[in-house]
Formats: sequence, structure tokens, C-alpha cells
Amino acid sequence: MEFIAEIFLIAIGAALINNFVLYYFVGICPFIGVSKEVETAIGMGFAVTFVMVIASFISWSITTFILIPGAPISSFVAGFFLTPEKAASIDLTILSYIVYIFAIASSVQFVEMFVKKSYPLLYRSFGVFLPLITTNCAILFACLTIMSNVAGIDNPENAWGLSKAITLALFGGMGFTLAIVIMSGIREELNFADVPEPFKGAAITLIIAGILAMAFMGFTGVDSGIRRLLL
Amino acid sequence: MNLITLILAASTLFVMAIVLSYILGWADKAFHVEVDERVELIIEELPAVNCGSCGYIGCNEYADAIVLKAEVVNRCTVGGDSCTQAIAGIMGVDANASIPLRAIVHCGAVYEQRLGRNKYDGENGCIAANLVTDVQGCIFGCLGFGDCKRSCDYDAIRIVDGLSRIDYEKCIGCGACAKICPRNIITITAFTHKRMLAVECSNNDKSKEVTKVCTVGCLGCGACTRVSDMFFIENNLSTIKYENYDDDKMDELIKASERCPKKRIIFVGPPLKEGETEKDQKSDKVITPDFKTTVDDTEWRG
Repeated sequence: MEFIAEIFLIAIGAALINNFVLYYFVGICPFIGVSKEVETAIGMGFAVTFVMVIASFISWSITTFILIPGAPISSFVAGFFLTPEKAASIDLTILSYIVYIFAIASSVQFVEMFVKKSYPLLYRSFGVFLPLITTNCAILFACLTIMSNVAGIDNPENAWGLSKAITLALFGGMGFTLAIVIMSGIREELNFADVPEPFKGAAITLIIAGILAMAFMGFTGVDSGIRRLLL
Repeated sequence: MNLITLILAASTLFVMAIVLSYILGWADKAFHVEVDERVELIIEELPAVNCGSCGYIGCNEYADAIVLKAEVVNRCTVGGDSCTQAIAGIMGVDANASIPLRAIVHCGAVYEQRLGRNKYDGENGCIAANLVTDVQGCIFGCLGFGDCKRSCDYDAIRIVDGLSRIDYEKCIGCGACAKICPRNIITITAFTHKRMLAVECSNNDKSKEVTKVCTVGCLGCGACTRVSDMFFIENNLSTIKYENYDDDKMDELIKASERCPKKRIIFVGPPLKEGETEKDQKSDKVITPDFKTTVDDTEWRG
């Protein structure tokens, strides 16, 4: 029960309360760039979610099994040359950024090939924004959040398992999709609105993003209520 | 110990590289899409800066358009002439062979011919004046405050007697004026001939209303449609079917332009040479693009 409650809290936290785009302000580039039409925005949201899940899976596995001190694979290999205590203290977390970028770039490549084959129309409407998921900070942010919950924590029993990592990535991606779809819906309506001349274009878009972020601030504190209820 | 860490770090990345490139190599084969090889060749030739000056989102979209939609090959201003030549070689077309686009102002009335004009003291510009009623009687025609002139980077528009005139020796058909005109009376038309016939009026009202606001406006009488099937009346306005514009239609067109009671159907384009008549026009499809500007945009001079 406690485990399910924690999963639920991570999910709702990633999707709504600490929405990646509207709370942490990561992933702004596609949020502004691909939010002109609802259909493209949905496609972009799912592409980011998919990449996020794959990248999180790869980075959680590598962090847990190789990078952190006492990780099974690295201490096993080091055990051939060193005493077990020294082998268990080998810390490769310094590699995390390189490994995560590596994993993200490969998954983006994979998704690009897949989308190009399966959904040519979607591929065309993405344009240059699909390769740009590579540099989407929301995905690196998800990987780093997972790392901070796996490596360098006091009690190894509290380290996140794969299920929690995937939950964070999946619902973080869902939250991104939610934000970008709301934004594109508003921007579609905005085409028919009488926007004052100085605010036209990027200015009104950024103002709307700000108002949306303020609206999502309304979720603050919901998690502590749920925590009291469930735990 | 440090050496072991180093070796472990290096081998981690090495193993990752091998595994991931194996997966991606498999995916490349499994998800292979047959594309026109010319698209890939053109993408190689384009500068890949995705600047958008060609009018497409990025270089890949432009390459697609060249192959699939027969877009002209000289749109890339970054790649310049060498890039154009290379793409022309891939597509097997003449680099200079493209029908030029030019602007046409669909209003031909100067100040005296436009009735119901009132003094306007507001901000000097068509977009502002267009918001005010009764600046002039005709709500379709040229206002003459020169937004198009200021938008032109090629110095190709002059305002003569309150009417914007295109200098066809300078116009390159970029479309900036057509975009800015609040009354949408400037169109960008493919000039298959050096001089093209155009209806210089945009008034959609019935003839009774037109005569109230303009002495030269198109009445929608249909005199031109009776002479030639190149014309049709749409919204009380004579319109030319440019898609049928051809050399052997020249006689009909000239006759129709003479028949127009208001003389609103006239030839536009660079001035004729001495002794040349409109009938001598032959469609010339080869024109060299010339991206030069004579306007000095520098606002601050230190």
C-alpha cells in the first residue's frame, strides 16, 4: 500500500504539481515552438514522453548498475583487481551527464527513424523540432531527477527502483503533453482574438505561458494533503 | 585505484557506444524509408543552416519542395550561385529558367479620380488610415500613404499622385508590399510575358456605387468577357484567368483592353522600347534573379 501511494505521489507530482514546463521551466523550446496547432502539439508531447521513458530506463539502469558506488557491474569488474571494500567505493557518477546525453541522443535518433517510417505526416509537421528533442532540457531534467534519487542518498534502501523512475518519466512526459496541448489550444483561439499590436506574436505567447504557470501554482500543497490521506 | 576508475569509465562509454550503435544500425535498416535520391543529394548541397529565407522551415523542407512541388531552385540566398547551380545540375533544369514573379497594384485611380476624399491628419500610413472611415470614398482602392513603398527593400515602389506605382525594372517579386497592404490590392503574379495585362481596380461594389466613389473604377459591365473568354466577372469585378495566359491569346486580350469603357484593363510591366507594340510580346521564361538592394536601411549614422 505504501509503495502504491508513493508511486501515485510521484506520478501526480510530476504531471501536475511540479509540472516540468510550468513549475520548473524546462522544455520551453518545444513548448513555444511547436504549440501552434493542437495536433502537432499532441504528437510532440507523445514523442517527448516516449523519448523520456526510454532515456529514463537507460539512464536508471546505467546509474544503478554501473555508476553509483557499490554498483554491481562496476564493483564486480573492479573486484578482479582490488579488494572488495575498495572495489565497492568506486564512484563513476561523474560520467552521468555524458551517459545521459548519449542515451537521450540515441533514443531521439530511434524515435526519429520510427516516426519517419510510420507517421510521415507527423514527421513533416515536426520539422527541425524532432532532432531538437535531443537538447530538450526536460528529458535531461528527468534523468537528473532520477539520478539524484538513486545516487548519493544516505540510506540505500530509499533509492528509487525502476518502477518509480519510469513513473516519473511517463507522468513527467504526460505533464509536458498536457501543458503543450493547453498552450496550443489557447494559441489556436488566439488567431481569432483581437490582440493589441505591441503584444502580437511572441509577447502574448510568453504572457499566456506565465498565466498558465500561475494557474498551475494552484496545485501547490495538494501532495501533502494526499500524503496525509494515504500514508 | 585511480587507473581502475579511469579504465572502468572508458569501458562503460565504449560498451554503451557499441550497444547503442548496434541498435541504431538495426533500426536504420528496419525503418528504412525509400526517398527520392535527389532529395538527399540536394540536402547535401544546401547549407543546412535552416535560416528560412527561402520561405520554408528548413533546408530539408526546401529540398522536398524542389523535388515534389517543382519549386524554383534559386531560393537559397545563403548558398548563393554555386548552390543554385549544383541543385540545378541535380534536377536537370536550367538554373535561370524560372517564371519571374512581380507585384501588380490593382488600383489605377490617382487623387483627382478618387471621389469623396477627406483631409486625414492621423498617423502617416495606410494601416492607420484604413481604420478611419471616410478618408476616401472607395473602400477598396489605394490610399496612397506609402506603406508598400516603405516595405520595399528594392526601391521599386513610388507614390505618384497618391497611387503606388511599381518600377518593374527593380521589382523582384518578394511579396513584402502584398503582405503589408491593408487593403490587399497588391498581388504577386507570375509574369510569363515581359508586360502583362492586369485589371487595375479592386472595387467589389455594383456599378452604381463605383461611379459614386471613382471616375475610373471597374463597373463589372462584362464588356471584356464578351470579347475574350480569358475574363470573368467575380464580385462585380473583371478578373483575368492568368493560368490560360498565352501568346496566341494576345489579339483577344488587346481587343478586350480597348473595349473596356473605363480603360481599366491595361498592360503593366517595364516600359516598351521604341517601335515595339504590346503584340510583339513573346513569353520569355528566362530571367536572371538579381538579389541586390539600392536602399540604405542604416538609421543611425555615427
